[in-house]
Amino acid sequence: MYPKWLWPIFALPGVVWLILLFLTPFYAVVGVAFGGVDPIFQNPLPAWNPLDWDFTSFLDTLSGFLPGRTYWGIFLRTAEYVGIALAISLIVGYPVAYYITRHSGRMKSLLLALLILPFWVSYLMRMLAWVNLFAPEGYVNAFLRWTTLVTTPPDWLNGNPVSVILGLAYGYIPYLILPLLASLDRIDKSLLEAARDLGASPFRAFLHVTLPLSKTGILGASVIIALPMFGDYYTPNIVSGSPKTSMLGNQIEIYFHGGPQPSVGAALTLILSAFLGVLMAYYMFTVAKAQREAQA
Amino acid sequence: MKDRDPEAKPASTPMRGSFSRRKALKTLGGAGLAVSAAPFIVRRAFADSAQPMGPGGIPLARPDHPVTLPMYEDPLKAGMAPETGGDFVVYVYADYIDKGLVNEFCKTHGVNMQLTTYDSQDEAITKQATHAVRPDVVNITPDRLAQGVAGKLIKPINHSYIPNLAANVWEGLQSPFYDVGSQYTVPYTVYKTGIGWRADKIKEDIAKLENPWSIFWNAKEYTGYVGVLDDARESLVMAMLYRQFYDINTEDPAEIDKALADLKALIPICNPKINITEYQTLATKQSWLHESWSGDLLGAYVNYLPAGDDGSALRFWAAPKGKGPIQNDCWAVSASTTKPVLAHMFLNYILDQDVAFNNFSKFTGYQPPQKSMTADALIAKGIVPETLRTAVMGPEDVGAGCLQECTLTSTGQKLWQSAYAKFNSGT
Amino acid sequence: MTEIALKARHSAPPTALRRFRDWLANPWGRPRFLVLVTWLYILTSIAPVIIAIQFSFNSGRSVTAWQGFSLSRWYWGDPVDSVWHDPTLQQALFQSLKLAGLDMLVATPLGVILALGLARWRGRLAAPANFLMLFPLVTPELVMGVSLYLVILYLFTFIHPSTLAQMLGHVTFSLSYVVVIVRGRLFSIGRQYEEAAADLGATPWETLRLVLLPLLLPAILSSLMIVFAISIDDFVISQWLSCGAQCDTVPIRIYSATRAAPLPSVNALAAIMVYFTVTALGLTYLVYRFMTRHERPKGGGAAASMMGDIGGM
Repeated sequence: MYPKWLWPIFALPGVVWLILLFLTPFYAVVGVAFGGVDPIFQNPLPAWNPLDWDFTSFLDTLSGFLPGRTYWGIFLRTAEYVGIALAISLIVGYPVAYYITRHSGRMKSLLLALLILPFWVSYLMRMLAWVNLFAPEGYVNAFLRWTTLVTTPPDWLNGNPVSVILGLAYGYIPYLILPLLASLDRIDKSLLEAARDLGASPFRAFLHVTLPLSKTGILGASVIIALPMFGDYYTPNIVSGSPKTSMLGNQIEIYFHGGPQPSVGAALTLILSAFLGVLMAYYMFTVAKAQREAQA
Repeated sequence: MKDRDPEAKPASTPMRGSFSRRKALKTLGGAGLAVSAAPFIVRRAFADSAQPMGPGGIPLARPDHPVTLPMYEDPLKAGMAPETGGDFVVYVYADYIDKGLVNEFCKTHGVNMQLTTYDSQDEAITKQATHAVRPDVVNITPDRLAQGVAGKLIKPINHSYIPNLAANVWEGLQSPFYDVGSQYTVPYTVYKTGIGWRADKIKEDIAKLENPWSIFWNAKEYTGYVGVLDDARESLVMAMLYRQFYDINTEDPAEIDKALADLKALIPICNPKINITEYQTLATKQSWLHESWSGDLLGAYVNYLPAGDDGSALRFWAAPKGKGPIQNDCWAVSASTTKPVLAHMFLNYILDQDVAFNNFSKFTGYQPPQKSMTADALIAKGIVPETLRTAVMGPEDVGAGCLQECTLTSTGQKLWQSAYAKFNSGT
Repeated sequence: MTEIALKARHSAPPTALRRFRDWLANPWGRPRFLVLVTWLYILTSIAPVIIAIQFSFNSGRSVTAWQGFSLSRWYWGDPVDSVWHDPTLQQALFQSLKLAGLDMLVATPLGVILALGLARWRGRLAAPANFLMLFPLVTPELVMGVSLYLVILYLFTFIHPSTLAQMLGHVTFSLSYVVVIVRGRLFSIGRQYEEAAADLGATPWETLRLVLLPLLLPAILSSLMIVFAISIDDFVISQWLSCGAQCDTVPIRIYSATRAAPLPSVNALAAIMVYFTVTALGLTYLVYRFMTRHERPKGGGAAASMMGDIGGM
């Protein structure tokens, strides 16, 4: 009914756009990471031709990720923050998503709307709100003082990791819950009814039916928030500002704001992307395997 | 704040908006020494053989090794009439000069004001070099002068158009080490780096300590309220001064590593924040002890005190000459100007006593090196409280023997930047 | 157990603990624990924003201590610092809206045809193209920001950091969202209507225009909304491609202010963005409801079907 060339033609502008403004910039990072530095201007001289690539500076930066070296500590710390924030987000987000898809009945639309609301509020604004609440004279401390449980409430913003992790979790949870909801929604309810009919208690039905079926959903949602979280540098800056809580993104930022070593910044970006690529590959592999098993 | 003219546009806008300026203050020392390789005819060259050399054959200026910049062309002839009509482009950091004052100048001479801003010296140099911006006058920092001259971005000036330079500006800056004879530049603001604190939160009298910088390493009880400047040079220099090591332009890896170790030791002691927002946070009590620039304290006093705080708790200390860093920046006539006479007159206008005073007190908070603006005069006028007398600079602070963070060679810059990144990583 | 013991066990008045446990464990009632968690979560995720908006109406300069209500001080009242009078805040507001508008204008059409193309393309290159389209969704913004910054400085040097550069960046990451939404809608429509139209003699072009496009309209609307929201929200890419004070957007202003000593005017600025977004969202929802009124199962669920469209990831 439609000519065969129609769809590729439709896809062409978008694909060209992505190639020019997504792939090529990526290649620019590669070029800068493997390129040289102008001895006079101190600007990076990107090496576009793969034959001109110079790996010494890159290997130097890469070796900084070995245990005990320059970037090992901050890489571990970033992974730790992301891991814990992800765990918190899942622990809070999964029950919420589960409740909304399974049990909310009439309230579902309202709950969905309320759930989606933070998604529409700028991340920065939610962080601003968070910081104002946890400021020394903010509402949280005022509440703690009022309950007389705590006479000197803690200083949340003095640069401690707990605030940063909680801030990350708070900021990214909405981006986790939505995909999780969508995937939980797609679980066939009849499977659960079958389990109950066969005598499983609600808890066992959940454990043996719902949870396994939602595995891909959990994985997908985790990937959706964990990967961007690795590159986060503004949350620690806003909530803390102390070097004790800085993340890998902060290091990358340092090397790009003037100075003689933009190639180090580019190298760090490449290494980060490669690491995330590995995670992404693991995810896609798992999804493909699950799909194969589902079809078998 | 009490005597502030309610009609005057307070510097709240520029101070908050002058993140660009403050961000750039950071890159002053760490900026690259990009010099155009374009050849030029050296009329006068000066090279001290003991001095580090930058590319293009221009030596790196140091306070004890002044440099006379080579003149690649003759300065403007004297006695010409100012041009009029068309645009007059002023290229400067955002919120770093009072638009009203510039506008007045332009109106008087019948030209259109065009205030173009940049975020960093890197950007400014690049845009001028590629002719993306063609200013008439440009605000430039001393460490970029070699670039500006070798790349022919700025023109030599004729002092006969700028009588205010000799009349109003401090002696020590009439012929600064980075531009002997003031052949290309006139100074704009000066500031020094020191310690800012709140006397109502810090019980020590820092100025009376034997080694005031040591307060940071003894600040355990102020954890969470301590700050270090977000600048590769300033932060490491602080650690060097703490050890009373005064070669702050060193490129010796051992010294830099020592400073890094000292800085890192601060983290478990007082968990310092790294930022350049002390001009606000000292005023609002979010920060109690911060490595600061002198202009920050003045700005805090004038603009950021919350209601009910009269600012009497703000304090500043800086080391005497030669023991603490000072810095200044400049104005120059751009090579792309089509109105050279007017450009010269603008430079003269900036150095006018009243213009400089209004610019400082109502807008920027950064002190111009004007003879008339002594600490006494400022305190008498109520701009600066007695408690912040130490934040005001005087002519004795500049000139030979002062400590200034200057440009480094590329290797040196890499060392400093890597050390700073390590400090920032908190590991 | 003896009868007496059994009786004792069941007839003793239930302790409070036992009652609470029974209430929690009631298999026929709603799962109370989940209800609690859900409402607690919703409260804690919305309350801070509400409080931040509340402080935009603070009569004093504090953002942490309530000093009284003032409707207009930080919106238009204060002659120096209010959003209406502070040129930097105004500039940020207009810049954000301008970028969002440009983003919607460019990304939506581009994304729609990209979605159509990718969904129905049967060639060998379709899979890699699809993969390429999905990539921006999982790329950290920092990586995208850095790469765009470098490419603009060293390859595409005719583009300077500017609003144009920011717009290009925004469209690049918005495309994926549009494609995902439109594709979801495509799958739920199916080919039936187009085939019917073809059977009735419509040319491909007419089918596209008169059948497919109207059917896709709800998804296009959702895409417009989502693109608006993520463009307004974007911080990293706008910051890296910014030309200076003139190109700063609202999130950039909020970021600078939050790191220093913010005034309620920043809260007001952020609140204005929330008003915009919520209004646009409400409008879109109403229009969506109206447009899909014939497709919904009886009893509502427009939100659910919108969710279904969006959740087509």
